[in-house]
Amino acid sequence: MTATGKYLRIALGVVVIAALIIVPMNFNRYGLFILSQWAVMTIAAMGLNLTLGYAGQVSLAQGAFVGIGAYAAAIMTTQGLPLVAALGVAIVLCFAIGWILGYPALRVQHHYLAFVTLAFSTLAFLVFRNEDWLTKGIYGISNIPRPNVLGFATNRPLPFYYFCLGSLALVSLAMWWLIRSPWGRAFVALRENPVRALSLGIDTRRYTLMAFAIGSALGGVAGTLYAPLTQYIDPVPFNLSLSLDLLMMVIVGGSGFFFGPFLGAMIAVLLPEWLRFTQGYYLMLYAVAVMLLLIYSPTGILGSLDRYLAERRTKAASALRAVAKSRLETAP
Amino acid sequence: MRSGFFAGFLLATVSAAAAFAQGAPIKLANVAELSGGGATVGNNWKNGIDLAIEEINAKGGLLGRKLEVTHADSQSNPGVARAQVQKALDSEPYVLLGPGYSGSVKVTAPLAAEAGIAQIMGGEAAELTQGGNKFLFRTSFGQQSSMPKVAKYINDELKAKSVAIVWVNNDFGKGGRDVITKEFAKYNIKVAADISTEAGQADFAADVSKIKAAAPDAVFVYVNEEESARMLKELKRQAITVPLMGETTLVGQKVVELAGDAANGARGHVGLTTDAPVDLIKAFREKFVKKYNYVPDHNGLKGYLAIYMIKATTEKMGKVDAKAFADNLHGLTIKAASEPGILMDVTFDEKGDIDRQGFLVEIVDGKQVVKQVLPKLN
Repeated sequence: MTATGKYLRIALGVVVIAALIIVPMNFNRYGLFILSQWAVMTIAAMGLNLTLGYAGQVSLAQGAFVGIGAYAAAIMTTQGLPLVAALGVAIVLCFAIGWILGYPALRVQHHYLAFVTLAFSTLAFLVFRNEDWLTKGIYGISNIPRPNVLGFATNRPLPFYYFCLGSLALVSLAMWWLIRSPWGRAFVALRENPVRALSLGIDTRRYTLMAFAIGSALGGVAGTLYAPLTQYIDPVPFNLSLSLDLLMMVIVGGSGFFFGPFLGAMIAVLLPEWLRFTQGYYLMLYAVAVMLLLIYSPTGILGSLDRYLAERRTKAASALRAVAKSRLETAP
Repeated sequence: MRSGFFAGFLLATVSAAAAFAQGAPIKLANVAELSGGGATVGNNWKNGIDLAIEEINAKGGLLGRKLEVTHADSQSNPGVARAQVQKALDSEPYVLLGPGYSGSVKVTAPLAAEAGIAQIMGGEAAELTQGGNKFLFRTSFGQQSSMPKVAKYINDELKAKSVAIVWVNNDFGKGGRDVITKEFAKYNIKVAADISTEAGQADFAADVSKIKAAAPDAVFVYVNEEESARMLKELKRQAITVPLMGETTLVGQKVVELAGDAANGARGHVGLTTDAPVDLIKAFREKFVKKYNYVPDHNGLKGYLAIYMIKATTEKMGKVDAKAFADNLHGLTIKAASEPGILMDVTFDEKGDIDRQGFLVEIVDGKQVVKQVLPKLN
């Protein structure tokens, strides 16, 4: 990458971040709610992107982990405990459950693994619904308080949006570091060729479990933000359809790309809202749009962008080569 | 000449402004389950609303102003419902309509209360109106008022000492089951079997054999319409002959159509039914069928009534005042004689709960027959 390209990227990043901070200041409550939802779903999708995009394990349980995080937050904060304690519990709990759920991943692959995680997803839903003593069952938990962060109350929509955005920034930084660390490289090696990874001395067993556990823990983080966002949770939002939604976000955005989940969540959360002017047709149009996208570009938006850039680079390089060759030929 | 032109211009402007003030439509916002698990509920509700608004607008509107409604889909998901209600409230509607699912009502009611906008909804869970929300209104009986009537009937008329309860495991079914279990305890009626079923469940063979094993004096069925029909068929197949009792859903028109003969003998309490022996309701049903080509369930009636609640309250106030709306609807009695759109006399109490006559019906030869009219309390 050239120096100007690098500066361009940094400038673009700064502009996007500034826009995310400044533009919503004039948004109404609805706009802020949707944007906060985007931030929360992006965190959950980033977790799944780690499991699926980097480590290559198909999981249909991410929605269940969001649910576990949300219930941890709802139960603990309505009992007067701080959200940060709930966050700790959610991370530990999801990490541990994710680790255990990772064991079948060592034995089964691809759609068989999808079935195992699907079963877990259903199981989690049944626990949320039937264990009344803990989760208040189908009635759900209401009046979930929003936290005070560094002395600032986040009851109003704008501060809460900044809280979600800040959390997203922290998670993104941690993820950025993780995928550039030896761990991240090990995850990719695991996806590309597990046998070769093993032969290079990577403990594939441990890294598979780790990818699952960290991805799940991020689902839990998203959940602890989701509960105070809606301030009421019941089991229904955490059923299989959320897991499928998150899977779609990762694939549509571009699985295995750092910014894939950001784009994917934007499409999954915002596109149906933009299409609402079509009244009864909006879900159909949305479905058609997603299908077309996946037919046209199975690797997601960033995948096709990447392909386009790679093609351009190849063309540029072969043009350079052609020039160099003709120079050689014409040289005396 | 010039001053005359100016005066004319001024007059035109003033009268245009007046016409605008007079003619600006009154905005209502509806958020309902137009897709997802509650699509039947939400679409009936929406169609009822549209029908009522069309009627009122055809007659010159409300206080001379047209009514206008926006419909938003909650996808039967409380989180989406919250976002859509937020959006609806940002546009400052006169009154908020919906949602129909109790969970979605629970998550949106604080928002409407905070904005000071009245919310007329379809939820039936008992707890909705118990939290002291001053802006929330029902369109039908809450379970806390319908279930005691059912329990009383089972005790007084059926003289049952043990009852099997079959309920659908969502907030609607579980809410009803919890209330009626408490009512049974008051009469010392034993719960012989407590059977939870899933929404959309197709096969009830195992559930019915559990009922058979428990040998109760009566069965109380509290599941949605399609499942009620499947349940009734299975009860008939396994030759269970004890009285079957329900609330609204078990004896609905759709159940009778789907279950055929198996529906005969089923009884139930019904707060709102298109089969009620009330001329205004029959007329409503005809209008609805003419416009939409199907017979609505009670949710269609609820949506229709919501609009006429708005009309009656606004006419009482004599002005369109969103802030004063809730205060004026509390304690209001609307008579069908003066406002035919309300279909039956109704009174709203301080909590937003409803008082209206109800019916005890039985299915005889595939027809709903009203056995008893339960009068309005006040």
